[in-house]
Amino acid sequence: MNGSDALQTDVSRLEKPALIVGLLALVISVGGGLHSPVQFFRSYLRGYVFWLGVALGCAAVLMLHHLVGGRWGFVIRRLLESGTRTLLVMAAFTVPFLLGLRFLYAWADPVRAHAETAIEDKALYLNVPFFIGRTIVYFAAWMLLAHFLNKWSLEQDRTANPALTRRLQNLSGPGLVIYGLTVTFASVDWVMSLEPSWFSTIYGMIFMVTQALSAMSLVIVITLLLSKTEPLREMVTPPALNDLGNLLLTFTMLWAYLSFSQFLLIWSGNLPDEITWYTARATGGWAWIAVLLIVFHFAVPFLLLLSRFVKRRIRLLSAVAAGLVVMSLLDMFWLLAPAYDRAGPRFHWLDWTAVIGMGGVWFWRFIAQLKRAALVPLHDPRMARGAGHHG
Amino acid sequence: MKLSTKKRPLYGLIAEFDNPDDLLAAAHRAHAEGYRRMDAFTPLPVEGLAEAVGFVSTRLPLVVLIGGLCGCIGGFLLQYYPNVMDYPLNIGGKPLDSWPAFIPVTFELTILGAALFAVFGMLAMNGLPTPYHPVFNAPRFELASRNRFFLCIKARDPRFDLEKTRQFMTGLKAREVSEVEV
Amino acid sequence: MEKSPNQITEDLLRPLLRTSPKYYFAVALLAAVVVVAFAAFGYQAYSGLGVSGLRRPVFWGFYITNFVFWIGISHAGTLISAILRLANATWRRPVTRCAEVITVFALSIGAMFPVIHLGRPWLAFWLIPYPSERQIWPNFRSPLVWDFFAINTYLIGSVAFLTLPILPDWALVRDKASGWRKRVYGFLSLGWRGTPRQWSRLESAMHIMAIVIIPVAVSVHTIVSWDFAMAPVPMWHSTIFGPYFVAGAIFSGIAALILAMACLRKFLHLEDYLKPLHFDNLGKLLLMMSLLWFYFVFAERLTTWYGNEPSEMAVFWTTQQGAYAPLFWTMVFCNFLLPFPILAIKRLRTITGTVIASTAVVAGMWLERFLIIVPSLSHKFLPYNWGTYRPTWVEITIMVGTFAGMALLYALFAKAVPIISIWELKLGLHEKSEVRSQETEGRGKLAFGGQEKLET
Repeated sequence: MNGSDALQTDVSRLEKPALIVGLLALVISVGGGLHSPVQFFRSYLRGYVFWLGVALGCAAVLMLHHLVGGRWGFVIRRLLESGTRTLLVMAAFTVPFLLGLRFLYAWADPVRAHAETAIEDKALYLNVPFFIGRTIVYFAAWMLLAHFLNKWSLEQDRTANPALTRRLQNLSGPGLVIYGLTVTFASVDWVMSLEPSWFSTIYGMIFMVTQALSAMSLVIVITLLLSKTEPLREMVTPPALNDLGNLLLTFTMLWAYLSFSQFLLIWSGNLPDEITWYTARATGGWAWIAVLLIVFHFAVPFLLLLSRFVKRRIRLLSAVAAGLVVMSLLDMFWLLAPAYDRAGPRFHWLDWTAVIGMGGVWFWRFIAQLKRAALVPLHDPRMARGAGHHG
Repeated sequence: MKLSTKKRPLYGLIAEFDNPDDLLAAAHRAHAEGYRRMDAFTPLPVEGLAEAVGFVSTRLPLVVLIGGLCGCIGGFLLQYYPNVMDYPLNIGGKPLDSWPAFIPVTFELTILGAALFAVFGMLAMNGLPTPYHPVFNAPRFELASRNRFFLCIKARDPRFDLEKTRQFMTGLKAREVSEVEV
Repeated sequence: MEKSPNQITEDLLRPLLRTSPKYYFAVALLAAVVVVAFAAFGYQAYSGLGVSGLRRPVFWGFYITNFVFWIGISHAGTLISAILRLANATWRRPVTRCAEVITVFALSIGAMFPVIHLGRPWLAFWLIPYPSERQIWPNFRSPLVWDFFAINTYLIGSVAFLTLPILPDWALVRDKASGWRKRVYGFLSLGWRGTPRQWSRLESAMHIMAIVIIPVAVSVHTIVSWDFAMAPVPMWHSTIFGPYFVAGAIFSGIAALILAMACLRKFLHLEDYLKPLHFDNLGKLLLMMSLLWFYFVFAERLTTWYGNEPSEMAVFWTTQQGAYAPLFWTMVFCNFLLPFPILAIKRLRTITGTVIASTAVVAGMWLERFLIIVPSLSHKFLPYNWGTYRPTWVEITIMVGTFAGMALLYALFAKAVPIISIWELKLGLHEKSEVRSQETEGRGKLAFGGQEKLET
């Protein structure tokens, strides 16, 4: 089956509009950036961290699938693979980000870096050349992983060689460790160092779960759009949806567990170094965002996803997933923005254009990659066995 | 043997099968024949048998949900009442209503409530412990936990007729059909 | 070779119905060690905690190390078994019960340590919140009280999770045994008859328990970790401690499970049930956990180094290259450098290989618990307050006693209960034969019983 035939749907028609909308929004962003570069880079970082997180989350869930198998993975594998291909676009988006470091980070600003002792203590790690070097290493590692994950999977479509499954499995174990280590470093670099005197050891894990959650949610929404398309229609069965829903539920619970662990320890310790991070995020206007996150990022989706009724129906499941995509975006905003706007949330129009701009280009790349291959893997030996089980 | 059964009331007729498929087929036939009050005894769960003997679905999940809610609310009050109302005491400069610190115990007691309701709900709905049950009098019934599969049609069934039912059951590929006394 | 349902019954009930003199000897030996340990505890309760090595500033030593260690081991069972049940991994059937037993006993032993550690152990019941003549309540803001609730919930849940699927097996023993055994197992099996309703509700209850027990298991070790992380002690006050402890607990738990299974296989002659496949699969899980453990140690140490707090750096360097460095690098060797190659190379992942790796991991994880507790306490903020810790014979005797106690409880349990779930094994055979007979149109069906002669 030819991949491009299979995609005669609404999704493939979105390819060009996505690119146009994305580029247009980015042009507007740059225009606004000429006016206020500081706000431009802050907004840019928010969009960048979110969309990069989705791409990396796709890689993580994909490797998890290769490692443990399960019928849920075959439904969304091609979507995840296309998601990892967007890392190339994100690598391109990194260049403007690196140019604006000194607008974003106190430690990258030559004046402020020497004014605060907390920053000077960390100068060994937080300095511009080392930061850029690390960023290059992260992207090299991620793109190398994504390259082989895609290459071997597509090769299996052509050659039906069952040994490739084993090879993907062997790559995914160490791959997940590499993912974990790089994302831990990256989250420290890009987000935690916005407030250089604060640190939390669980931060990298929270980031990983957020990435996996946003990627899973987005992919489930796209599955709904594609669920009428032929090879996928047979695969999107209630049991497979149930598995996807359970995975989403697991990520939601993990997010709550990790976030609560961090909050409880810092709340009870109440040490001046640490608690400021939460006083910035849970007082004033930000408290409302925090409550919104507790209710709609955890409580409501958690209760909905407990029910098999919801999990087995694609429309209900993707409605929950769509809600979670929005909440992940808000979560990212809540993590990043209070570093500057302590008083309360302030949604600048550049925030919107940055997210939409990068998202448009992301989707363009995603759909283009999705069209390259069949919508479901063709020759994975585990797939036949997995299909026989639920019958 | 027969004489003694006359003296005591009859619980039902029990048929012994070699494998789960014969039992399942027999249960379906008995249901088609109009028998409703019957039960099966097997050494392992047999898929589809519960439906065949007329058991729709278990209400256990609902019971568990109630248990969990009781545990949750009770757990929070267990901490709120002493620390806020009965003996308010400033500890470590924390507010009296330290709700973040109350979450772990609330969570544990939610689960405890759910688990206890699951276990005792299961036992109660299954009528366990059952110190005495007539089927234990059936000959060779000790094999029901090992490798034989039994189907019992109870005497209470409106369509039960000792001779006709015995004839019907003998025609079901059963190894043996015997009477069970109360 | 596949066993027939009757052979399964015979093989797995044999330990319950026949006992060799060697068994009595082993039990007597283990019981003797346990008695000595109890005597040591009696001596400590009589003379006071001064007979232990706990001195200022290190007031948490071997006892708390063992507490965390045993609670960690308890994550072998219920958690792994629940995950395998929910994932419907077919290879789990012979493994689940021997795993769940570890949880129940390791948890009971672990929960004893905080009490042993008390100066006045007879006042342990003060943890229970009830309106009393003392007129005060436990402080619910304290993680030590959370421990009480978490561990007891986990213990009750695990006992239920273990006992529910034993009911049908007890019914089997009741129907097979004679004399006093018949009476005892008749009582224990509660009149189980195996009706479709009973099976349906039992399976439903097991499914629900499997779902609720996973968050409890995670919460238990998280709360144990908060005993440390809530205190502003250098290298303790770390937000990652929850998941870090949980991962370590599962890691040591799988290792303990592999060791227990190897012992059962050897002593109860279960070679046909606990196969190399099971060790291979558990070996893979252990490998995954080893990588995860490595990630956690790395992330924790890296972020601490990045944070660069002077008091934390003192502890950091004393474990990295100071007095505790030999223990630290032994731990890294036992938990990562040795098991990783053994478990990653398929040819080495044999029964012997996994047993060697597991032994190393159990030792390494014990060291990890020690290294979390003691270096931090002996290097708290002000250097005038620094000190050392050396355990005394009392602490060592009690610790050895708990290992013997674990083996003793396990041996007694394997005598009273079929250590492999018989009905679940038969169900597995039945399901397999169903699939096979679908493929071969009715041939190859499983023959239940048939020739077996009736024993009365």
